[in-house]
Amino acid sequence: MEHMKDLHEVEELLNFWNWPANGTWEMYVGNIHLTFNPTTLIMTWITMLLVIIFCVAATRKMSMTRPKGAQNILEIVWEFIRGLVNENMDPKKGAALLGVVVTYIIFILFANLIGLVPTLSSPTADYNTTLGLALCTFAMIYIFGIRYKGLGYFKHYVKPFVFFLPINILEDFAKPITLTFRLYGNIYAGEVLIAVLLGLIGGWAHVFGGFLASVAWLAFSIFVGCIQAFIFTMLSIAYVGQAVGDH
Amino acid sequence: MGFEFNGTLLAQIVDFIILLIFLKLVVYKPLVRLLEARSEGVASNIAAAEQERREAEQLKAGYEAEMRNAREQTQEIIQKATKAGEDQAAEIVSNAKNEAERLKEQALAEIEREKQRAVTELREQVASLSVLVAGKIINKSMTEGIQRSMIKDFIKEAGELQ
Repeated sequence: MEHMKDLHEVEELLNFWNWPANGTWEMYVGNIHLTFNPTTLIMTWITMLLVIIFCVAATRKMSMTRPKGAQNILEIVWEFIRGLVNENMDPKKGAALLGVVVTYIIFILFANLIGLVPTLSSPTADYNTTLGLALCTFAMIYIFGIRYKGLGYFKHYVKPFVFFLPINILEDFAKPITLTFRLYGNIYAGEVLIAVLLGLIGGWAHVFGGFLASVAWLAFSIFVGCIQAFIFTMLSIAYVGQAVGDH
Repeated sequence: MGFEFNGTLLAQIVDFIILLIFLKLVVYKPLVRLLEARSEGVASNIAAAEQERREAEQLKAGYEAEMRNAREQTQEIIQKATKAGEDQAAEIVSNAKNEAERLKEQALAEIEREKQRAVTELREQVASLSVLVAGKIINKSMTEGIQRSMIKDFIKEAGELQ
């Protein structure tokens, strides 16, 4: 099996744009040594740029009576997420959340799908990104909880009994961690399998087996990307709804 | 040297917040405004349509009532006219009958009058003839021949009278 390449080699070969894929960017703040993953950051910026282009294109020359094209898509997404938010909490309280979760679904969807373009990779295939997003949700749970319930929000830790305190605290930390690794795991696994199908099957196998499997996996990855973006958004809404609600 | 830390996490949070703020300011504001304007427009359209429907129903009811009135009035007018016509016809017929009766009576009276006049005239003539004859008898000397011719004349005159 001389054609068999290892994953690292495939990634090197796929690095068409010569990004510093394996290196790091470094920064010193005082005596803290900060390192950055360049690929993730560059891909995030590209994703942000695409999201901005899409959203701006969708909201220029908007038609009130006959929405079409990007405007239509953005409106559908907005109304869909607004429906989810209103189901989970009082619409008045949900208004502030709506912008954040719509940004979640659009950004995560773009981030997931951009990794399917050959030579590019998903920002969400790096757990730093998904953890960052999950921490935003984590922060929002507390912000919304305290805003609408005051310090009484923290009472839910000792419900139904004081004895439940450690379990409730554990549950709170489980939320961002499960959000992080669900998204990261799905997208990273998808990217790895794309690389595997592209490069690890040697010889002529890639002409048939590798190619067909790769196409099928790409199609499935589109599905997975959409579903994961939706799940992340949906769960964020549900968690915040739980913090705001009366139960 | 302090400790090493992967700042990608921080960078991603900052990136996301930047994206969020940008989208909120540039994209969501006009979008929300548009959606609100649209739902308001739809609501006002529905309200206007409802209002117009109600007005149309009122109008329809009004027109129907008017039409019913008009039909009733028409019926009444026709009935009146028919009755008036019948009355008039009866009147004309009775007038005609009366007139005919009157004319007939007039004619009969005329005939009677003429007859009376004729008889009167005849009587007068007979009387005057008698006087004439008497005069002649008295004036002329009576001979047989004269008497005879007188009788003849008398008879002749009387025959002429017939």
